[in-house]
Amino acid sequence: MLEYAEPVTKLIDEFKRLPSIGQKSAQRLAFHIMRMPEAEVERLVLAMREVKQRIILCSVCNNHTELDPCRFCSSPTRDHGVICVVEEPHSLVAVEKTRSFKGVYHVLHGSLSPIRHIGPSDLHLANLLPRLKPENNEGVQVTEIILATNPTTEGEATANYIGRLLKPLGLRVTRIAMGMPVGSDLEYVDEVTMDKSLANRHEI
Amino acid sequence: MLLEWIEASNFRNLSGKIFWGPGFNIIHGSNGQGKTNWLEAIHTLARAKSFRTQHLQESIKFGEQLAVVRGRVAHGADIHRDLQIALQGNTKSISLNGKREPLTGYLSQIHIVALTADELDIVRGMPDARRRFLDRGVASLQPAYVQTLMDYNRVIKQKNHILRNSAEREISLFETENLVAPWNQQLIGLAAQVHRGRCDYVERLNQVLERRVFGREEVTLNYVSSLEGKGDLDDYQGLIAERLRLRLPAELAAGHSLIGPHRDDLAILFDGHEMRIYGSAGQQRSALLLLDLAAISLYNSWHNDYPLFLIDDVDAELDEKRIGKLLEYLEGRTQTFITTAKSSHVGRFFSQANVFEIEEGVVVGTAEPKVISAVEKP
Repeated sequence: MLEYAEPVTKLIDEFKRLPSIGQKSAQRLAFHIMRMPEAEVERLVLAMREVKQRIILCSVCNNHTELDPCRFCSSPTRDHGVICVVEEPHSLVAVEKTRSFKGVYHVLHGSLSPIRHIGPSDLHLANLLPRLKPENNEGVQVTEIILATNPTTEGEATANYIGRLLKPLGLRVTRIAMGMPVGSDLEYVDEVTMDKSLANRHEI
Repeated sequence: MLLEWIEASNFRNLSGKIFWGPGFNIIHGSNGQGKTNWLEAIHTLARAKSFRTQHLQESIKFGEQLAVVRGRVAHGADIHRDLQIALQGNTKSISLNGKREPLTGYLSQIHIVALTADELDIVRGMPDARRRFLDRGVASLQPAYVQTLMDYNRVIKQKNHILRNSAEREISLFETENLVAPWNQQLIGLAAQVHRGRCDYVERLNQVLERRVFGREEVTLNYVSSLEGKGDLDDYQGLIAERLRLRLPAELAAGHSLIGPHRDDLAILFDGHEMRIYGSAGQQRSALLLLDLAAISLYNSWHNDYPLFLIDDVDAELDEKRIGKLLEYLEGRTQTFITTAKSSHVGRFFSQANVFEIEEGVVVGTAEPKVISAVEKP
């Protein structure tokens, strides 16, 4: 027997499929939707439909975009000689927020994890190598690849894998540093980060 | 550190609150009354883990939904912290001073060393028990080691998956090498940290080991790397990289990782003989005690503080001579919690101790009048 009317149960089930939504959150959302004015619900439905219909992956860097190539790949002011490799589109946003990175991106949509059956062929890697040839890259020679995958064992393995792939090509391959968050107190930093910061200290 | 009191409700058959003394605390009672349950409550409060079961929900009293263990720990004269662990179904929630606390911060509040029947595996069981003993010790001195170890185990797990998959699907050695390489590269760095951490710890243990407290034989410890005899251990990274390269075909055939500190062991020797094989039951118990005392002493020299020491069923584990020597050694050092069923021991050894008589999980009598417990039968 269903606890709620069928359409409600269906909605709760759909919400529960979403990441970090459990039974209780799903119920709360479903009940909220039932209380919402119809126009607002329509707006939500439309927003979801639009995002599915209008957002595609950039054929060059795999970032989410409305226009192909995306605004980074088609920008004449970005440095197409430096490519920053990230795991997810939201990692790209994090790098972009610095406003100090002027290069372009490559989004992998994941990281290597044999446990979860994610191997190199499951990452969006295939279109990275062709980008390294000037004729495929607005005539610009790529000089550096920055590996900005997450500082987890999976992110590290992914960076290692790509590093191995690219090293023989003779270009500069770098890995982002790990250490202290800026603007916070030493006392608030967890011991693992502090440990890494000590190991990676540099002379001034 | 000092555990001032502990309060349990619906934790196995326990209820009520016990105010502990600073030195020896004897938990005395007949079998099946809940002596060990009180030790387990202390262990669970300190480590958010039981020494009896992997599944904490087994500690919830039958028919109840929620078990709670609370306690207050003092660091020095003026710092008192309230710890709580609540078990409900499969979930445990921990809090410090009434606020939820991440596990890493919580676990550093109380450090305990426990002498229980399971711990005998360290001196006579398989190597994994000894590796766990060492890892616990290293982590008690450098907390960041916990993350190193977690990362190492994670890398091994991921690598094993590749090896198993390659073996099952008959993927070529060349291709497997490609897939394994990024994990091996991390493995080398992490393995070196684990190796160094454990070697340092064993060296320190050897320095503080009171070799002859319990017997005539001299006990020594020796960290035995699985790479021993394969090359120059001083260049550990170079050596393990070489071994990983050479042994990949074997790893592929086995379907799991064969190289790394997850295959290492700690040799416990008496007069040069291996304790695990040649030691008598009594010698093995003595050796375990020596290890625990050395761990306590190292913790003290590092933190200028003593961990809590838990001894479950002291008469089963130790004879009278050893109990006497042990208590002499611990006097004025650790806050110690001991369970025993023998009343003769209570009078003979523990005249200085606070004695708690346990019946059906609650304290029914204490030997010192200042120690009063709120006894409420469920």
